[in-house]
Amino acid sequence: MLAQAPHPASETLPLVRIVGLNKWFGALQVLKDIELTVRAGSRIVVCGPSGSGKSTLIRCINGLEHFQKGTIQLEGTALGRNPRDTATARRQTGMVFQSFNLFPHLTVLANCTLALRRVLLKPASEAEEIAMHHLTTVRIPEKAHAYPAQLSGGQQQRVAIARALCLNPRIMLFDEPTSALDPEMIKEVLDVMVALAGSGVTMVCVTHEMGFAREVADQIVFMDEGRIVVHASSRDFFSRAAHPRAQLFLDTILSH
Amino acid sequence: MSMFEIWLGILQGLGITAQVTAYALVFAVPFALVLGVAQFLATGLTRFLVTAVIEFWRSSAVVVLLFVFYYVLPVMGITLSALTVSALVLGLNIGGYASQAVRAGLQSLPAGQREAGMALGLSRPAILLLIELPQALITMSPTFVNNLIQLVKATSLVSLVTLTDMTFRAKEIAQTDYDPVAIYSALLLAFFVVCYPIALAGRWLEARVHPEKGTARGI
Repeated sequence: MLAQAPHPASETLPLVRIVGLNKWFGALQVLKDIELTVRAGSRIVVCGPSGSGKSTLIRCINGLEHFQKGTIQLEGTALGRNPRDTATARRQTGMVFQSFNLFPHLTVLANCTLALRRVLLKPASEAEEIAMHHLTTVRIPEKAHAYPAQLSGGQQQRVAIARALCLNPRIMLFDEPTSALDPEMIKEVLDVMVALAGSGVTMVCVTHEMGFAREVADQIVFMDEGRIVVHASSRDFFSRAAHPRAQLFLDTILSH
Repeated sequence: MSMFEIWLGILQGLGITAQVTAYALVFAVPFALVLGVAQFLATGLTRFLVTAVIEFWRSSAVVVLLFVFYYVLPVMGITLSALTVSALVLGLNIGGYASQAVRAGLQSLPAGQREAGMALGLSRPAILLLIELPQALITMSPTFVNNLIQLVKATSLVSLVTLTDMTFRAKEIAQTDYDPVAIYSALLLAFFVVCYPIALAGRWLEARVHPEKGTARGI
Protein backbone atom coordinates (compact mmCIF):
# COMPACT_ATOMS: atom_id res chain seq x y z
CA MET A 1 0.00 0.00 0.00
CA LEU A 2 1.34 3.40 -0.91
CA ALA A 3 1.55 6.06 1.75
CA GLN A 4 -1.47 8.26 1.57
CA ALA A 5 -0.62 11.75 0.43
CA PRO A 6 -1.69 14.29 3.02
CA HIS A 7 -4.42 16.59 1.86
CA PRO A 8 -6.15 19.58 3.45
CA ALA A 9 -9.02 18.69 5.76
CA SER A 10 -11.38 20.76 3.63
CA GLU A 11 -11.07 18.24 0.81
CA THR A 12 -13.60 15.44 0.85
CA LEU A 13 -12.87 11.72 0.80
CA PRO A 14 -12.22 10.78 -2.82
CA LEU A 15 -15.09 8.97 -4.54
CA VAL A 16 -12.70 6.88 -6.56
CA ARG A 17 -9.10 6.18 -5.73
CA ILE A 18 -7.07 4.14 -8.19
CA VAL A 19 -3.57 3.14 -7.11
CA GLY A 20 -0.99 1.23 -9.17
CA LEU A 21 -3.56 -0.28 -11.51
CA ASN A 22 -2.21 -2.74 -14.07
CA LYS A 23 -4.19 -4.91 -16.42
CA TRP A 24 -3.33 -7.42 -19.08
CA PHE A 25 -5.41 -9.01 -21.83
CA GLY A 26 -3.39 -12.22 -22.16
CA ALA A 27 0.17 -11.10 -22.88
CA LEU A 28 -0.87 -7.58 -23.86
CA GLN A 29 -0.63 -5.02 -21.09
CA VAL A 30 -3.49 -2.57 -21.54
CA LEU A 31 -3.19 -0.53 -18.34
CA LYS A 32 0.16 0.46 -16.84
CA ASP A 33 0.61 1.90 -13.34
CA ILE A 34 -2.58 3.97 -13.40
CA GLU A 35 -2.98 6.46 -10.54
CA LEU A 36 -6.18 8.47 -10.48
CA THR A 37 -8.27 10.12 -7.81
CA VAL A 38 -11.78 11.34 -8.50
CA ARG A 39 -13.28 13.72 -5.96
CA ALA A 40 -16.97 14.50 -5.62
CA GLY A 41 -18.00 17.12 -8.13
CA SER A 42 -15.09 16.45 -10.51
CA ARG A 43 -15.75 16.34 -14.21
CA ILE A 44 -12.93 14.37 -15.77
CA VAL A 45 -12.60 13.79 -19.50
CA VAL A 46 -10.40 10.88 -20.51
CA CYS A 47 -9.05 11.11 -24.03
CA GLY A 48 -6.33 9.57 -26.13
CA PRO A 49 -5.81 7.55 -29.29
CA SER A 50 -7.81 4.37 -29.80
CA GLY A 51 -6.31 1.39 -28.02
CA SER A 52 -4.82 3.60 -25.32
CA GLY A 53 -6.83 1.93 -22.55
CA LYS A 54 -9.42 4.68 -21.87
CA SER A 55 -12.50 2.46 -22.06
CA THR A 56 -10.79 -0.35 -20.17
CA LEU A 57 -9.92 2.08 -17.39
CA ILE A 58 -13.47 3.29 -16.80
CA ARG A 59 -14.84 -0.23 -17.17
CA CYS A 60 -12.52 -1.22 -14.31
CA ILE A 61 -14.08 1.44 -12.09
CA ASN A 62 -17.44 -0.37 -11.95
CA GLY A 63 -16.03 -3.86 -12.10
CA LEU A 64 -16.97 -4.69 -15.70
CA GLU A 65 -13.30 -5.54 -16.24
CA HIS A 66 -11.09 -7.47 -13.88
CA PHE A 67 -7.58 -6.28 -13.23
CA GLN A 68 -4.48 -8.12 -12.12
CA LYS A 69 -2.57 -5.57 -10.06
CA GLY A 70 -3.28 -2.47 -8.00
CA THR A 71 -6.37 -1.28 -6.14
CA ILE A 72 -9.52 0.61 -6.95
CA GLN A 73 -11.46 2.02 -4.04
CA LEU A 74 -14.96 3.38 -4.33
CA GLU A 75 -15.65 5.57 -1.31
CA GLY A 76 -13.08 3.56 0.59
CA THR A 77 -14.37 0.10 -0.42
CA ALA A 78 -11.93 -1.96 -2.48
CA LEU A 79 -13.24 -3.45 -5.72
CA GLY A 80 -12.56 -6.98 -6.85
CA ARG A 81 -12.08 -8.45 -3.37
CA ASN A 82 -15.52 -9.92 -2.96
CA PRO A 83 -18.54 -9.96 -5.25
CA ARG A 84 -20.80 -8.23 -2.72
CA ASP A 85 -18.56 -5.14 -2.76
CA THR A 86 -18.55 -5.18 -6.54
CA ALA A 87 -22.34 -5.28 -6.61
CA THR A 88 -22.49 -2.36 -4.18
CA ALA A 89 -19.97 -0.45 -6.28
CA ARG A 90 -22.08 -0.98 -9.38
CA ARG A 91 -25.15 0.41 -7.68
CA GLN A 92 -23.17 3.55 -6.86
CA THR A 93 -21.87 4.08 -10.37
CA GLY A 94 -23.94 4.87 -13.43
CA MET A 95 -22.58 3.63 -16.73
CA VAL A 96 -23.43 4.90 -20.20
CA PHE A 97 -22.16 2.78 -23.07
CA GLN A 98 -21.11 3.66 -26.59
CA SER A 99 -23.78 1.36 -28.03
CA PHE A 100 -26.54 2.44 -25.56
CA ASN A 101 -27.32 -1.17 -24.56
CA LEU A 102 -30.97 -0.47 -23.82
CA PHE A 103 -33.05 -3.60 -23.26
CA PRO A 104 -35.00 -3.95 -26.54
CA HIS A 105 -37.80 -6.08 -25.07
CA LEU A 106 -38.71 -3.44 -22.48
CA THR A 107 -40.28 0.00 -22.87
CA VAL A 108 -38.27 3.10 -22.11
CA LEU A 109 -39.99 3.34 -18.74
CA ALA A 110 -39.37 -0.33 -17.93
CA ASN A 111 -35.70 0.05 -18.89
CA CYS A 112 -35.48 2.80 -16.30
CA THR A 113 -37.47 1.11 -13.56
CA LEU A 114 -35.89 -2.36 -13.86
CA ALA A 115 -33.03 -1.80 -11.42
CA LEU A 116 -35.12 0.40 -9.13
CA ARG A 117 -37.57 -2.45 -8.72
CA ARG A 118 -35.26 -5.45 -8.82
CA VAL A 119 -32.15 -4.07 -7.12
CA LEU A 120 -33.45 -1.34 -4.81
CA LEU A 121 -36.80 -3.18 -4.43
CA LYS A 122 -38.89 -0.03 -4.73
CA PRO A 123 -42.63 -0.34 -5.36
CA ALA A 124 -43.76 0.16 -8.97
CA SER A 125 -45.37 3.56 -8.42
CA GLU A 126 -42.30 5.03 -6.73
CA ALA A 127 -39.98 3.53 -9.35
CA GLU A 128 -42.05 5.04 -12.14
CA GLU A 129 -42.06 8.41 -10.46
CA ILE A 130 -38.25 8.38 -10.18
CA ALA A 131 -37.90 7.17 -13.78
CA MET A 132 -40.21 9.88 -15.12
CA HIS A 133 -38.23 12.49 -13.20
CA HIS A 134 -35.00 11.42 -14.92
CA LEU A 135 -36.65 11.00 -18.32
CA THR A 136 -37.69 14.63 -17.92
CA THR A 137 -34.11 15.55 -17.04
CA VAL A 138 -32.95 14.07 -20.36
CA ARG A 139 -35.91 15.73 -22.12
CA ILE A 140 -37.67 12.64 -23.35
CA PRO A 141 -40.61 11.97 -20.97
CA GLU A 142 -43.05 11.68 -23.91
CA LYS A 143 -41.34 8.47 -25.08
CA ALA A 144 -41.80 6.64 -21.77
CA HIS A 145 -44.01 3.97 -23.32
CA ALA A 146 -42.09 3.57 -26.58
CA TYR A 147 -39.70 0.70 -27.24
CA PRO A 148 -36.01 1.42 -27.87
CA ALA A 149 -36.29 0.35 -31.53
CA GLN A 150 -38.78 3.18 -32.07
CA LEU A 151 -36.23 5.82 -30.99
CA SER A 152 -33.36 7.50 -32.80
CA GLY A 153 -29.81 6.87 -31.62
CA GLY A 154 -29.67 10.19 -29.80
CA GLN A 155 -32.96 9.49 -28.05
CA GLN A 156 -31.79 6.00 -27.06
CA GLN A 157 -28.60 7.38 -25.57
CA ARG A 158 -30.55 9.96 -23.58
CA VAL A 159 -32.76 7.16 -22.24
CA ALA A 160 -29.60 5.24 -21.34
CA ILE A 161 -28.41 8.27 -19.38
CA ALA A 162 -31.76 8.48 -17.58
CA ARG A 163 -31.61 4.75 -16.81
CA ALA A 164 -28.20 5.20 -15.20
CA LEU A 165 -29.35 8.27 -13.25
CA CYS A 166 -32.31 6.39 -11.76
CA LEU A 167 -30.11 4.61 -9.21
CA ASN A 168 -28.93 8.03 -8.04
CA PRO A 169 -25.27 7.08 -8.58
CA ARG A 170 -22.43 8.85 -6.81
CA ILE A 171 -20.53 8.98 -10.09
CA MET A 172 -21.46 8.72 -13.76
CA LEU A 173 -19.15 6.91 -16.16
CA PHE A 174 -19.51 7.61 -19.86
CA ASP A 175 -17.77 5.31 -22.35
CA GLU A 176 -17.62 7.22 -25.64
CA PRO A 177 -21.32 8.13 -25.40
CA THR A 178 -21.48 9.91 -28.75
CA SER A 179 -19.16 7.75 -30.87
CA ALA A 180 -21.96 5.60 -32.29
CA LEU A 181 -24.19 8.56 -33.14
CA ASP A 182 -24.84 10.37 -36.38
CA PRO A 183 -23.43 13.90 -36.28
CA GLU A 184 -26.83 15.58 -36.02
CA MET A 185 -27.64 13.59 -32.86
CA ILE A 186 -24.40 14.23 -31.01
CA LYS A 187 -25.49 17.66 -29.84
CA GLU A 188 -28.68 16.55 -28.10
CA VAL A 189 -26.71 14.03 -26.05
CA LEU A 190 -23.89 16.45 -25.25
CA ASP A 191 -26.46 19.09 -24.21
CA VAL A 192 -27.89 16.65 -21.67
CA MET A 193 -24.40 15.87 -20.38
CA VAL A 194 -23.53 19.57 -20.09
CA ALA A 195 -26.71 20.11 -18.08
CA LEU A 196 -25.81 17.17 -15.82
CA ALA A 197 -22.33 18.57 -15.25
CA GLY A 198 -23.93 21.91 -14.39
CA SER A 199 -26.07 20.23 -11.74
CA GLY A 200 -22.96 18.98 -9.94
CA VAL A 201 -22.94 15.32 -11.03
CA THR A 202 -19.49 13.75 -10.70
CA MET A 203 -18.48 12.34 -14.05
CA VAL A 204 -15.69 10.52 -15.79
CA CYS A 205 -16.19 10.64 -19.51
CA VAL A 206 -14.22 8.95 -22.27
CA THR A 207 -14.77 11.03 -25.36
CA HIS A 208 -13.17 12.56 -28.42
CA GLU A 209 -15.48 15.58 -28.20
CA MET A 210 -12.87 18.20 -27.35
CA GLY A 211 -15.41 21.03 -27.49
CA PHE A 212 -17.35 19.26 -24.74
CA ALA A 213 -14.14 18.66 -22.80
CA ARG A 214 -13.16 22.31 -23.00
CA GLU A 215 -16.63 23.46 -21.92
CA VAL A 216 -17.38 20.95 -19.17
CA ALA A 217 -14.28 19.21 -17.82
CA ASP A 218 -12.31 20.53 -14.90
CA GLN A 219 -9.61 17.91 -15.47
CA ILE A 220 -8.32 16.14 -18.55
CA VAL A 221 -6.65 12.75 -18.47
CA PHE A 222 -4.71 11.95 -21.61
CA MET A 223 -3.80 8.29 -22.11
CA ASP A 224 -1.44 6.63 -24.53
CA GLU A 225 -0.43 2.97 -24.72
CA GLY A 226 -2.04 2.12 -21.39
CA ARG A 227 -0.48 4.95 -19.40
CA ILE A 228 -1.82 8.22 -18.12
CA VAL A 229 0.56 10.58 -19.92
CA VAL A 230 -1.05 13.82 -18.84
CA HIS A 231 -3.42 14.55 -15.98
CA ALA A 232 -3.95 18.28 -15.91
CA SER A 233 -6.55 20.90 -15.29
CA SER A 234 -8.61 21.57 -18.36
CA ARG A 235 -7.12 25.06 -18.71
CA ASP A 236 -3.53 23.81 -18.60
CA PHE A 237 -4.27 20.97 -20.99
CA PHE A 238 -5.72 23.13 -23.70
CA SER A 239 -3.00 25.72 -23.35
CA ARG A 240 0.45 25.17 -24.78
CA ALA A 241 1.46 23.46 -21.56
CA ALA A 242 0.26 20.12 -22.88
CA HIS A 243 2.60 17.19 -23.27
CA PRO A 244 4.02 16.89 -26.82
CA ARG A 245 2.21 13.56 -27.39
CA ALA A 246 -1.06 15.12 -26.25
CA GLN A 247 -0.42 18.14 -28.44
CA LEU A 248 0.06 15.84 -31.43
CA PHE A 249 -3.21 14.06 -30.59
CA LEU A 250 -5.07 17.36 -30.26
CA ASP A 251 -3.62 18.62 -33.55
CA THR A 252 -4.74 15.39 -35.27
CA ILE A 253 -8.32 15.40 -34.05
CA LEU A 254 -8.87 19.13 -34.22
CA SER A 255 -7.50 19.45 -37.76
CA HIS A 256 -10.60 17.83 -39.35
CA MET B 1 -65.48 -48.10 -45.97
CA SER B 2 -65.41 -44.77 -47.69
CA MET B 3 -62.29 -42.68 -47.41
CA PHE B 4 -64.17 -40.29 -45.16
CA GLU B 5 -65.15 -43.11 -42.79
CA ILE B 6 -61.56 -44.28 -42.75
CA TRP B 7 -60.46 -40.76 -41.94
CA LEU B 8 -62.93 -40.48 -39.06
CA GLY B 9 -61.71 -43.84 -37.81
CA ILE B 10 -58.13 -42.59 -37.82
CA LEU B 11 -59.11 -39.40 -36.02
CA GLN B 12 -60.27 -41.55 -33.09
CA GLY B 13 -56.54 -41.79 -32.39
CA LEU B 14 -56.18 -38.02 -32.30
CA GLY B 15 -56.80 -37.97 -28.55
CA ILE B 16 -53.78 -40.20 -27.90
CA THR B 17 -51.67 -38.19 -30.35
CA ALA B 18 -52.61 -35.01 -28.50
CA GLN B 19 -52.10 -36.64 -25.12
CA VAL B 20 -48.61 -37.89 -26.01
CA THR B 21 -47.70 -34.48 -27.44
CA ALA B 22 -48.89 -32.59 -24.37
CA TYR B 23 -47.29 -35.04 -21.95
CA ALA B 24 -44.04 -34.97 -23.94
CA LEU B 25 -43.98 -31.17 -23.64
CA VAL B 26 -43.98 -31.58 -19.86
CA PHE B 27 -40.59 -33.25 -20.30
CA ALA B 28 -39.37 -31.21 -23.27
CA VAL B 29 -39.87 -27.65 -22.01
CA PRO B 30 -38.04 -27.90 -18.66
CA PHE B 31 -35.33 -30.07 -20.25
CA ALA B 32 -34.72 -27.54 -23.05
CA LEU B 33 -34.72 -24.55 -20.70
CA VAL B 34 -32.59 -26.02 -17.93
CA LEU B 35 -30.01 -27.71 -20.15
CA GLY B 36 -29.92 -24.90 -22.72
CA VAL B 37 -29.23 -22.36 -19.96
CA ALA B 38 -26.77 -24.73 -18.25
CA GLN B 39 -24.83 -25.23 -21.46
CA PHE B 40 -24.75 -21.44 -21.92
CA LEU B 41 -23.49 -20.73 -18.39
CA ALA B 42 -21.34 -23.73 -17.58
CA THR B 43 -17.66 -24.09 -18.28
CA GLY B 44 -15.16 -26.93 -18.15
CA LEU B 45 -16.27 -30.33 -16.92
CA THR B 46 -19.84 -29.23 -16.09
CA ARG B 47 -20.31 -28.02 -19.64
CA PHE B 48 -18.95 -31.30 -20.97
CA LEU B 49 -21.42 -33.27 -18.85
CA VAL B 50 -24.35 -31.07 -19.84
CA THR B 51 -23.42 -31.43 -23.49
CA ALA B 52 -23.13 -35.20 -23.08
CA VAL B 53 -26.68 -35.44 -21.67
CA ILE B 54 -28.08 -33.27 -24.46
CA GLU B 55 -26.26 -35.22 -27.15
CA PHE B 56 -27.44 -38.56 -25.76
CA TRP B 57 -31.07 -37.54 -26.18
CA ARG B 58 -30.58 -35.60 -29.39
CA SER B 59 -28.36 -38.03 -31.24
CA SER B 60 -30.05 -41.34 -30.42
CA ALA B 61 -32.64 -42.89 -32.74
CA VAL B 62 -36.08 -42.28 -31.23
CA VAL B 63 -37.38 -45.72 -32.21
CA VAL B 64 -34.44 -47.39 -30.52
CA LEU B 65 -34.89 -45.26 -27.39
CA LEU B 66 -38.58 -46.18 -27.31
CA PHE B 67 -37.79 -49.91 -27.46
CA VAL B 68 -35.01 -49.61 -24.90
CA PHE B 69 -37.16 -47.80 -22.38
CA TYR B 70 -40.26 -49.88 -23.04
CA TYR B 71 -38.66 -53.35 -23.13
CA VAL B 72 -35.34 -53.01 -21.29
CA LEU B 73 -36.31 -50.93 -18.23
CA PRO B 74 -38.84 -53.55 -16.97
CA VAL B 75 -36.00 -56.10 -16.97
CA MET B 76 -34.19 -53.76 -14.58
CA GLY B 77 -37.31 -53.60 -12.42
CA ILE B 78 -38.54 -50.22 -13.63
CA THR B 79 -41.94 -50.42 -15.26
CA LEU B 80 -43.36 -47.30 -16.87
CA SER B 81 -46.61 -47.08 -18.78
CA ALA B 82 -46.45 -46.93 -22.56
CA LEU B 83 -47.70 -43.36 -22.39
CA THR B 84 -45.00 -42.28 -19.93
CA VAL B 85 -42.23 -44.00 -21.88
CA SER B 86 -43.44 -42.39 -25.09
CA ALA B 87 -43.72 -38.92 -23.57
CA LEU B 88 -40.34 -39.23 -21.88
CA VAL B 89 -38.47 -40.40 -24.95
CA LEU B 90 -40.14 -38.09 -27.45
CA GLY B 91 -40.05 -35.18 -25.02
CA LEU B 92 -36.39 -35.45 -24.11
CA ASN B 93 -35.40 -36.06 -27.72
CA ILE B 94 -37.17 -32.92 -28.96
CA GLY B 95 -36.09 -31.11 -25.79
CA GLY B 96 -32.51 -31.86 -26.79
CA TYR B 97 -33.06 -30.05 -30.07
CA ALA B 98 -34.88 -27.16 -28.38
CA SER B 99 -32.09 -26.80 -25.80
CA GLN B 100 -29.76 -25.92 -28.66
CA ALA B 101 -32.14 -23.17 -29.73
CA VAL B 102 -32.20 -21.86 -26.15
CA ARG B 103 -28.40 -21.87 -25.98
CA ALA B 104 -27.97 -20.31 -29.42
CA GLY B 105 -30.56 -17.65 -28.60
CA LEU B 106 -28.69 -16.72 -25.43
CA GLN B 107 -25.30 -16.74 -27.15
CA SER B 108 -26.52 -14.53 -29.99
CA LEU B 109 -27.33 -11.65 -27.63
CA PRO B 110 -24.79 -8.81 -27.67
CA ALA B 111 -22.46 -8.80 -24.65
CA GLY B 112 -23.65 -5.24 -23.98
CA GLN B 113 -26.98 -6.55 -22.72
CA ARG B 114 -25.33 -8.48 -19.90
CA GLU B 115 -22.94 -5.61 -19.18
CA ALA B 116 -25.79 -3.11 -18.96
CA GLY B 117 -27.49 -5.41 -16.45
CA MET B 118 -24.28 -5.76 -14.45
CA ALA B 119 -23.73 -1.99 -14.50
CA LEU B 120 -27.22 -1.57 -12.99
CA GLY B 121 -26.25 -3.85 -10.12
CA LEU B 122 -28.45 -6.79 -11.16
CA SER B 123 -27.33 -10.24 -10.07
CA ARG B 124 -26.38 -12.87 -12.66
CA PRO B 125 -29.65 -14.84 -12.17
CA ALA B 126 -31.66 -11.61 -12.47
CA ILE B 127 -29.86 -10.71 -15.71
CA LEU B 128 -30.63 -14.17 -17.07
CA LEU B 129 -34.31 -14.09 -16.11
CA LEU B 130 -35.15 -10.46 -16.80
CA ILE B 131 -32.88 -9.55 -19.70
CA GLU B 132 -31.38 -12.52 -21.52
CA LEU B 133 -34.03 -15.26 -21.47
CA PRO B 134 -36.98 -13.07 -22.50
CA GLN B 135 -35.05 -11.86 -25.55
CA ALA B 136 -33.66 -15.29 -26.44
CA LEU B 137 -37.03 -17.02 -26.13
CA ILE B 138 -38.77 -14.43 -28.30
CA THR B 139 -36.06 -14.67 -30.96
CA MET B 140 -36.16 -18.44 -30.92
CA SER B 141 -39.94 -18.90 -30.79
CA PRO B 142 -40.21 -19.81 -34.52
CA THR B 143 -37.66 -22.58 -33.93
CA PHE B 144 -39.69 -23.87 -31.00
CA VAL B 145 -42.75 -24.08 -33.24
CA ASN B 146 -40.73 -26.17 -35.70
CA ASN B 147 -39.72 -28.41 -32.81
CA LEU B 148 -43.38 -28.76 -31.84
CA ILE B 149 -44.31 -29.88 -35.37
CA GLN B 150 -41.47 -32.41 -35.29
CA LEU B 151 -42.81 -33.67 -31.98
CA VAL B 152 -46.36 -34.14 -33.29
CA LYS B 153 -45.03 -36.05 -36.27
CA ALA B 154 -42.78 -38.17 -34.09
CA THR B 155 -45.80 -39.33 -32.06
CA SER B 156 -46.59 -41.69 -34.96
CA LEU B 157 -43.84 -43.90 -33.49
CA VAL B 158 -45.78 -44.56 -30.27
CA SER B 159 -47.95 -47.03 -32.20
CA LEU B 160 -44.90 -49.31 -31.91
CA VAL B 161 -45.35 -49.49 -28.15
CA THR B 162 -49.08 -50.29 -28.28
CA LEU B 163 -50.60 -46.81 -27.96
CA THR B 164 -53.68 -46.37 -30.15
CA ASP B 165 -52.70 -43.08 -31.73
CA MET B 166 -53.69 -42.11 -35.27
CA THR B 167 -51.02 -44.33 -36.85
CA PHE B 168 -52.10 -47.31 -34.72
CA ARG B 169 -55.72 -46.73 -35.73
CA ALA B 170 -54.68 -46.69 -39.39
CA LYS B 171 -52.96 -50.04 -38.97
CA GLU B 172 -56.00 -51.44 -37.16
CA ILE B 173 -58.29 -50.37 -39.98
CA ALA B 174 -55.81 -51.80 -42.48
CA GLN B 175 -56.20 -55.21 -40.85
CA THR B 176 -59.97 -55.36 -41.40
CA ASP B 177 -60.13 -53.38 -44.61
CA TYR B 178 -57.50 -53.98 -47.26
CA ASP B 179 -57.25 -50.54 -48.81
CA PRO B 180 -53.71 -49.23 -48.14
CA VAL B 181 -53.99 -46.34 -50.59
CA ALA B 182 -57.08 -44.85 -48.97
CA ILE B 183 -55.99 -45.66 -45.39
CA TYR B 184 -52.48 -44.26 -45.56
CA SER B 185 -53.58 -41.26 -47.62
CA ALA B 186 -56.14 -40.56 -44.93
CA LEU B 187 -53.44 -40.88 -42.26
CA LEU B 188 -51.24 -38.48 -44.18
CA LEU B 189 -54.13 -36.04 -44.36
CA ALA B 190 -54.87 -36.44 -40.66
CA PHE B 191 -51.32 -35.44 -39.69
CA PHE B 192 -51.41 -32.56 -42.16
CA VAL B 193 -54.64 -31.25 -40.66
CA VAL B 194 -53.01 -31.25 -37.22
CA CYS B 195 -49.60 -29.89 -38.18
CA TYR B 196 -50.47 -27.28 -40.77
CA PRO B 197 -52.28 -24.93 -38.34
CA ILE B 198 -49.23 -25.12 -36.08
CA ALA B 199 -47.02 -24.22 -39.04
CA LEU B 200 -49.30 -21.28 -39.82
CA ALA B 201 -49.13 -20.13 -36.22
CA GLY B 202 -45.36 -20.40 -36.42
CA ARG B 203 -45.26 -18.29 -39.56
CA TRP B 204 -47.46 -15.67 -37.93
CA LEU B 205 -45.14 -15.70 -34.92
CA GLU B 206 -42.07 -15.38 -37.11
CA ALA B 207 -43.57 -12.36 -38.86
CA ARG B 208 -44.10 -10.73 -35.48
CA VAL B 209 -40.68 -11.59 -34.13
CA HIS B 210 -38.63 -10.84 -37.26
CA PRO B 211 -40.77 -8.40 -39.26
CA GLU B 212 -37.72 -7.32 -41.25
CA LYS B 213 -37.08 -10.76 -42.71
CA GLY B 214 -40.46 -11.35 -44.34
CA THR B 215 -42.06 -14.78 -44.24
CA ALA B 216 -42.09 -17.81 -46.49
CA ARG B 217 -44.15 -17.16 -49.60
CA GLY B 218 -47.24 -19.07 -50.64
CA ILE B 219 -49.77 -20.90 -48.53
